[in-house]
Amino acid sequence: MNLIVGVSDMKVTNNIKATLVTYSLGSCIGISIYDSVARVGGLLHYMLPESNLDLEKAKKNPYMFADTGIPALFKAAYKLGAKKQRLKVIIIGGSQILDQKEFFNIGKRNETAARKIFYKNNVIISDKDVGGVVNRTVKLAVNNGDTWIKVSGKGERKI
Amino acid sequence: MSDIKSIIKKIDHLTPIPQVASKVMSIAEDPKSSMYDLSKVIIYDTAVTANLLKVLNSAYFGLPEKVDSVHQAIVYLGMAQVVDLVLLSASGENLQKAQEGYDLEAGELWKYSVSSALLARELAEKKGVKETHLIFTAALLKDIGKVILNQYVKDSFDKINALVTKQNFTFREAEKEVIGIDHAELGGMVAENWKFSPKMVEIIRHHHRPQEASISEFESAIVYMADTICMMMGIGVGSDGLAYRFHREVVESLELTESEFQKIIAGFVEKVKQLEAMMNI
Repeated sequence: MNLIVGVSDMKVTNNIKATLVTYSLGSCIGISIYDSVARVGGLLHYMLPESNLDLEKAKKNPYMFADTGIPALFKAAYKLGAKKQRLKVIIIGGSQILDQKEFFNIGKRNETAARKIFYKNNVIISDKDVGGVVNRTVKLAVNNGDTWIKVSGKGERKI
Repeated sequence: MSDIKSIIKKIDHLTPIPQVASKVMSIAEDPKSSMYDLSKVIIYDTAVTANLLKVLNSAYFGLPEKVDSVHQAIVYLGMAQVVDLVLLSASGENLQKAQEGYDLEAGELWKYSVSSALLARELAEKKGVKETHLIFTAALLKDIGKVILNQYVKDSFDKINALVTKQNFTFREAEKEVIGIDHAELGGMVAENWKFSPKMVEIIRHHHRPQEASISEFESAIVYMADTICMMMGIGVGSDGLAYRFHREVVESLELTESEFQKIIAGFVEKVKQLEAMMNI
């Protein structure tokens, strides 16, 4: 059973029949987390690095931004029994258009935002597939934590 | 390199855009025209009328009662929105099919095109551009060249991809290098063939390089910007991914600051809902 995580969306579940899927990460970032003991999986798909851009939007939809979405993702997983030390954390996406530099490079800034938050909170990043000019789709099987990344035009691989 | 003449000949294989599209556009741009002029043109195209009513009665619009005439539709939504819906309805046929060369499943190119069009319209309104229907339609049809080039991209994908991944080519530049023509150039030819206005032809032809447009530089910049954001948001993006160039001077010509740029992205979520309603056309 596929549970679809849309743009600016998050889903966390302990339903072992579920596969969490988020399609088409361009400059957006997908954060996939999995606790193999509690068998809890979570997937977040955020668009932008910082909620101070529009606090009202962040309140309405915290999953739009890294600094509000990531804490919400972890808290939801803790509620279902996940533990920080056991979580396998993967960062996916953050692509950029060619020659997209500095402030306009949202992909890079999105990635940096996640890294900063993880560093501050002593979360170890288990794996990553970020950057470049590609478009990625992510699947996380809650049954065993297997994570697949599909790159348009280049097929799917297990991470 | 493929025989370019034979590629161009394939323009004739596209389903021509129904006449109703160009008619409603000219009505929309004529300040003297009335809602009666508009509804008269639409009702003669039964397929477009049926589509229009179907979408209007969808949950997205949440109208208080069932709409069963074009006239009523215009009363509820206003001329501008009905015109856009007609343009969508008239354009779907070619863009809804799968494009294997670009690794796009059925409906994905359509999704990409509709989201670009919605975003371009919003940007045009924000910037006070009058010809919003021109921009909407150009954004909607800008990738029509991909529908023809698809087969050739499929046959030469490895060569194109090698130029993109190893030599910093954009996907469009690599198409041009390997096949001899790119999807934007070909799209411009389609627009000419369909007797679109010179401005529309130019916007489609230059949607990746708006700084090279001569009669529609600002309009092309808006369509470029909408395209850029849709690419970044990944909605319906294929094997060409984000392999196009970012032209900072174009963004600056639209006087968009970094925070405004991000705010447009933040507004995209609401666009997606609108998009899902429009996708049924």
